Order: sequence, then structure tokens, then C-alpha cells
Amino acid sequence: MFIDFFYQLKTVGIPVSPTSFLTLQKALDMGLINSIDAFYTSARAILIKSERYFDVYDQVFAHRFQDAEMPEYEDFELDEVTRALLEGWLEDPVSLAAALEMDESDIIDLSPEELIEYFKKRLEDQKGRHEGGRTWIGTGGTSPTGHSGYHPEGMRVGGVSRNRSAVKVAMDRRYKDYSRRGLLTQDMMGEALKRLRNMVPVGPKDQVNIDETIYQTMKNAGEIDIVFSRRLKDRIKVILAIDNGGWSMDQYIPVVQTLFDYARDQFKDLKTYFFHNTIYDFLWEDPARYKQPFKVENFVSFDPQTRLIMVGDGSMAPYELMAADGSIHVEERSGKPSIEQLKFLAQTFPHCVWMNPVFSQTWDKTPTITTIAQIFPMFELTLDGLEGAVNHLMTK
Amino acid sequence: MSKHQNNTFSGASRYVLDDELASIVNVSMALEMPLLLKGEPGTGKTMLAHAIAESLNMPLIVLNVKSSMKLVDALYQYDTLTRLNDSRFGDSKRDVSNIEDYIKMGKIGQAFTSEVRTVLLIDEIDKADTDFQDDMLDVLDQMEFDIIEIDKTITAKFRPVIVITSNAKKDLSDPFLGRCNFHHIAFPDPEMMRKIIQVHFPDINSNLMGNAVSTFYELRKIEAIEKKPATRELINWIRALKTDPDFKPDQLANKDIPFLGVLFKKSQDYQKAMGSTNRRGLF
Repeated sequence: MFIDFFYQLKTVGIPVSPTSFLTLQKALDMGLINSIDAFYTSARAILIKSERYFDVYDQVFAHRFQDAEMPEYEDFELDEVTRALLEGWLEDPVSLAAALEMDESDIIDLSPEELIEYFKKRLEDQKGRHEGGRTWIGTGGTSPTGHSGYHPEGMRVGGVSRNRSAVKVAMDRRYKDYSRRGLLTQDMMGEALKRLRNMVPVGPKDQVNIDETIYQTMKNAGEIDIVFSRRLKDRIKVILAIDNGGWSMDQYIPVVQTLFDYARDQFKDLKTYFFHNTIYDFLWEDPARYKQPFKVENFVSFDPQTRLIMVGDGSMAPYELMAADGSIHVEERSGKPSIEQLKFLAQTFPHCVWMNPVFSQTWDKTPTITTIAQIFPMFELTLDGLEGAVNHLMTK
Repeated sequence: MSKHQNNTFSGASRYVLDDELASIVNVSMALEMPLLLKGEPGTGKTMLAHAIAESLNMPLIVLNVKSSMKLVDALYQYDTLTRLNDSRFGDSKRDVSNIEDYIKMGKIGQAFTSEVRTVLLIDEIDKADTDFQDDMLDVLDQMEFDIIEIDKTITAKFRPVIVITSNAKKDLSDPFLGRCNFHHIAFPDPEMMRKIIQVHFPDINSNLMGNAVSTFYELRKIEAIEKKPATRELINWIRALKTDPDFKPDQLANKDIPFLGVLFKKSQDYQKAMGSTNRRGLF
């Protein structure tokens, strides 16, 4: 029964499994479901496993059982796309105005719904993929509502970012679960970083070591000999070095801030340093980067077991990394190219990673990222990336 | 089967239940599948299990999941230390040569060996790692587990009513989800919220209730708040407002909001809330 309903759910992209459908049949057979309302709630509890799909389920259900008009399949996708874009736009009305080729003042008068409608109309006008051109939303054109174009305020709609002027990828988003790539919250960071621990025995011997006690008691011919040992405590040392300079990091401030806040809460032995683009002779202990310099050589006196986490987009002009006087600040030019300093750090702290907020697919477009990735194992600053980084930091 | 059907769940004395949730609970009980509840903190996920236990008159067993927990901790514990002690001093009634005397049941074990049907609440499953979750579902699916030390299989006498809660920090694995029924408890709407407040403050005056609830929902709309205030915060906040002799309900309407710290517990959130109330003139 209701096989067509099952397939309708599947068609709109809800992951429904045959097993759960059989469970629903069982519920029907048992006579548990005796009204359309009961069917609605029971089928949802049994078939749909995430609240993300509740809305779509409602639409399909209304279509199947109440003859409501079935929204076009395309709409589901477009709604997702536009919602994602809108979030980005609302933070940046100037680009938004430019993207839609409207005046900023006009946009302020529009409601979010009207904006979405306008944008969807533009998207639907377009059939198939589109390169170049002037008015369509496509790739590489001069119309600002596309991606990889060279409009100064360009808004990326899909594909790979070339100018980093866009906010979200949209057109290529089909069926892809982006939930794990959304903004990282402190809770999510906590989950990922929880395993970053270095358990060492410290303090008084106040915990009974059962295995050892049994062993010693046996050796003692049954006379009990209780063995105590020290408690295991987390004594991990972490150095967090954050690139907080320059416009290129600006867009990542919220996510880096979250990482920083979590790290400050979580790790008792945490030292934070700041740098701009890459590291020359100094790191700074103050975020403004001028009051408290810290000489890179002094890191040799640190415990080599310290975990070094670098955070930065690693995007800069190649000479800044390679040249002996590469720093854009004169006072930092000591004759040692930055790449040597980075190598020194990676050698001093074998447990090190570089967290990069830039999407990993685009790393090979920036030569300095590739170079740095050869020195530091590089991970994307997302939930998946953090998990990878933690795994790497915990390997011996 | 038939004995379960007499046992249907229709709410409890202190829990405001909607019909939808009640029917999901009943279907899950009849299908003998665990019910996975997701939702923001403060939507009453944990309270539901208490309410089911109360209304069906079954004992409630709570397993609070911790991140360091291993599955065996939830099943049973082999108390080697007591056995060692007994073997040396021999002053207890336990039989040292019988290991079974030294097996203590964990929460899941207690639910399986109980002489009556129980409600088993597995709270905040998302705290544990994925292996724990999958292994636990195997146990709950088969309704039995092995005690390795004595090579004995414990089979559930009665299949407990299982409620699992998750704060949705992480997505649970597909096999896990496949074995559960799922419900997401939405944040209560203002009307529901008034009912909940009424249950907690039977003598509240309607002016305070109206102003407090509408202010609360306005505050929840502030963007980029990491920890949104939930039902618990609202109840505490109303309690605080009621104790302040200088407080007049009408001042909320003029965006004069005392005790913001009761609602927003993270300093950034607090500052954002302060900023928003003044700048945007929400009220």
C-alpha cells in the first residue's frame, strides 16, 4: 500500500529506505493507523529521519492525499539555492544590489521573498549551462549575477571561485549535503576537538590500579597488596597561531573566532599568537600585532609535544613566502624567507596542522597554499576538516 | 501484542503533550522500535520519557550518555575488586568461585533483567562516538547481550519502551537512524508556551504573561545567537521578574528588559541581545 507515495518521497530527494517502508506496512497491518492524521504522523516518524525533510514531506503528503498542487520538482532545489544565497546577500547589500543590477535603495524596499522571486526568475530564464554573455546568470560573463566573472562586485552563483568575490556556491549544489559544511558552532567544534587530549599521569597516587593489584596479590600468595597509581589528566599543550591580518581573512573572522573561543575555554595550556599572511621573524601575542612580539626562534624552548595549530588562508603573493625580504612590513625583513621559518616551526613541533578556511577544492588555484601544504599538513576549517586535523595531531 | 494496546500513552500530570507526539509514542511502542527525539534544548525531550513512565506506571531507567562511555559500561560491570576482597577475607555471603555474583548490571542490563516492563531513557546519545551508538543499537535490536566473563547471554524479559534523545549536535549514522522512529520536537509556539507557563505559574497575571512571552519570542529572533533562550530560561526569567518589586509588566513593551542575563548565558550572546534591544528598537 502507498507504494506510489513512497516513490514520490524518493523522487523529491528524501532518503527513504525500503526497510522503513516495510515497518510502515507492519504498522498498518497491526491496525495502529486508522485515520489520515495518524497516517501522517506515523509515516513521518517511521520514514523521515531528519527534520530537514519535514517541510518537503508535508508538500508531498498534501499532494498525494489532499490533492494539493505538487510543487515543481525544480522548486525544491531552487528554494534551497536561493535560501543559501540570500543568507550571504543580506550581509552585503552593496554586492546584492550590484548582483541584481538594481539600486541599493530599491533593494532595501524589497522583502526577502520578493528578492528570492526575482532571483529565481533570473535563474529559470536560463536553460542549461552558460558561459560568457551579458545578461544571463552564468559563468565568466560580465553580468554580475554569476560566478567567476570579472565584475568588481561579482556574486558567485556556482562553480569554482576564481576571484573569491562570491559568497556561496549554488548551482552545483544538487543533492549534496552541505549541512556539515555550514557555519561551525562552538558545540560542533567541541565535538571535533574533544578527542584532542594528551592524558598523562599526574597528582597523588590515589586511584586503585586493579590489574596491577590482582597481579601483585597473586605474587603475594593471596595476601592482598593494593597498588595505587596516579590519575590520568589531560595535559595537552596547544599553540594556536592565527592569521588575523588583511582583507583576505576578513570573511572568515566568524569561524576563526569560534575556534578561538572554544580553544580558550577548552585547553588549559593554550598560547595564542597572531600573524599576517605568513610568519617572518616574529609572531605577536596581541591581536593588533605591534605590542608584544615573540621571536620565532624562542619556540625551541617549548615542549616539542605541543600541538601547533596554524589558522590562515595561506593566500598571498608568492614572493611574500619565498623572498628573503618578502615581508610587506620593512621592520620584519631579516634576510630569512618566510618559508624557512615555517619549516623551522614544522620541525620544532612535529604535531602540527594548518587549518585553512578556504574550500579545499580551490587550494590548487593558489600556489602559496600548495607550498604551505607541503610543509604543514593542511585541513579545511570545517567539521570534517577539524576531525581530520585532530586525528593527525593525535597520531604519534 | 494486545497487552500493549491497552497501554496507550495520553499524557501526564506535569507534561503538556500534543496529539501528534502522543500518537508517535504509541506507534513506536506498538512497533517495539526505539523513538529518537531531536530538538532544541528546552523542548522537553527528557521530560517526555518521565511522562511516559508516569502515565504507563512503569519504572524509568535513565542512561545518561557521556563522551567517554563504553558500551559495556551501560550493559554490566564485573566487580573484580570486591571479588578480590572476598577471596581474601571471605566474610560475605557471596560465592567467590561464582563470578556471576560479582556481575552488576548497568542501565541497559537493568532494563533487560527487570521483572516488569520499563521505560529506558537514553539521554543525549549524540555525546558518544559513532561506534557506541551503532553497537548499542545492535544490543537494543536483538534485545540480548553477552557477559564475556561468565559466557552467559542476557535476554530481555520484557522489551523496554526506549526513548533516545539527541541535541542534534551531530548527525547520527544512517544504520542508527534506520532502526529508530524519529520525531523532531519543534520549539513551542507562543500559544503552547502560554499553556506551559500556566502550568508552572498557575496564578500569573495575564499582563505579565503576555508581555513576557512576546518579549521572549522577539529576543529569540536576534540573529547569530549561539545559545538561544529556551523554555527553562523563560521560566526562570519570569520567576526573576516576579520577585522584583519595582518591575512593571508594561516596561517590557518599552524595550526596558531587566535580567537579560537570565535569558542569555554566553557573554557574546548577552552583548548582542543588549545591542539589539537598544539599536533595533524591536519593541
